[in-house]
Amino acid sequence: MSARHEPVDKILASGGDLGRIASELEHVPQAFPRRVNADPEQVERGLAQLVLTLVELLRQLMERQALRRMELNTLTDDEIEQMGETFMKLEQRMQELKEHFDFEDRDLNLNLGPLGNLL
Amino acid sequence: MIHLYGLVQGLDDLPDLRGVDGAALERRRIAGLDVVVSRSTRELGEVTHDAILVHANVVEELMSRSRAVLPAQFGRAFTSEEQLTEAVQTKATALERGLTRVRGCVELGLRVLERGSRTDESTGLSGSDYMRTRLAEATERDRFSQELHGPLAALSRTSTRFGGASGDLLQAVYLVPEEQIEAFREHMNRIEGAHPELTMVCTGPWPPYTFADDREESHERSA
Amino acid sequence: MSTRDEHELKYQVTLVELVDRVLNKGVVLTGDITLSVANVDLVYVGLRLLLSSVATLEEQRDRELHPVGAQP
Repeated sequence: MSARHEPVDKILASGGDLGRIASELEHVPQAFPRRVNADPEQVERGLAQLVLTLVELLRQLMERQALRRMELNTLTDDEIEQMGETFMKLEQRMQELKEHFDFEDRDLNLNLGPLGNLL
Repeated sequence: MIHLYGLVQGLDDLPDLRGVDGAALERRRIAGLDVVVSRSTRELGEVTHDAILVHANVVEELMSRSRAVLPAQFGRAFTSEEQLTEAVQTKATALERGLTRVRGCVELGLRVLERGSRTDESTGLSGSDYMRTRLAEATERDRFSQELHGPLAALSRTSTRFGGASGDLLQAVYLVPEEQIEAFREHMNRIEGAHPELTMVCTGPWPPYTFADDREESHERSA
Repeated sequence: MSTRDEHELKYQVTLVELVDRVLNKGVVLTGDITLSVANVDLVYVGLRLLLSSVATLEEQRDRELHPVGAQP
């Protein structure tokens, strides 16, 4: 690999913990590193990651939708209470699963190219 | 296989660079548009670290020598000159429009991470309290994110704000006229000074990758 | 943080942002997708398409719920 092509850094401005940004960003160009990591040992964890990503996505979509309806005042107090309990339980269960498989939040995010990260 | 780097306007000479797989850069005139490509004998374009950097470097160089560049996405290639010609002809009007849109501008990217993690002490809350807490958080997040984004968008020709990523308070790209880059940087420094608690990074100037394609038009918010 | 680490981090952030742009952004003509992709990636590619459409649906429904002027 020729050093000639290595880009110079393009940080126009930055603040706070750059390391945190770097580690978040590592998950961005997924098409690239994933190819390298596609060994059979990783398949099971990869599958769990895929499934949990989907579940987490649906959970957040539903929660967002519920909050939106709450804002629009189209939910009764009982409905809000029930939904809140459900989302709380879902969140706790999700947390347990993440701990079990040793995933962090960012592992369950999907980069959608032009749409950005979905979660 | 024909590898496409992008479309250019007002380019005098091709940069003295080799393209992907060490192939020479060439230009084509198709439907009144100036197209930069290289030909390679390889059947399949592999995504290698080096190929990506070569592609990016060529686009950078084109950018510094042209009035406008519409960078092409890496990883799509044409099997014949006819296929390339047809593809450019089909999209000629949109490409022309794209070149006009990005002329004289660069792309700046911004990511701002959430200020601390959100309140995770949901145990013991009633369902309603949980929902109200979440709603308040979401509202405050939107408000603050818009407060950061608004002035930057005003300095841009156009901008795109991406949906709320977890951990990202604001993720946006700005198409900024070259003469506004300094003002943009100064504004970033002001934000940094006013909010030392924020973790953020602004990158660029990039060739206008994010604003190159039509699909972005639906995301545009006028400044 | 040492200057060297800082430099390394900045470089890393730049590189990631760059790769994201080159692979995910940029103008797309109809050319063939020539990336050689492992099976796992195909699942992700399919998932991305599915999720894109979910997001579009959401946007559509939002527009229906809050019609803000006429669509152009």
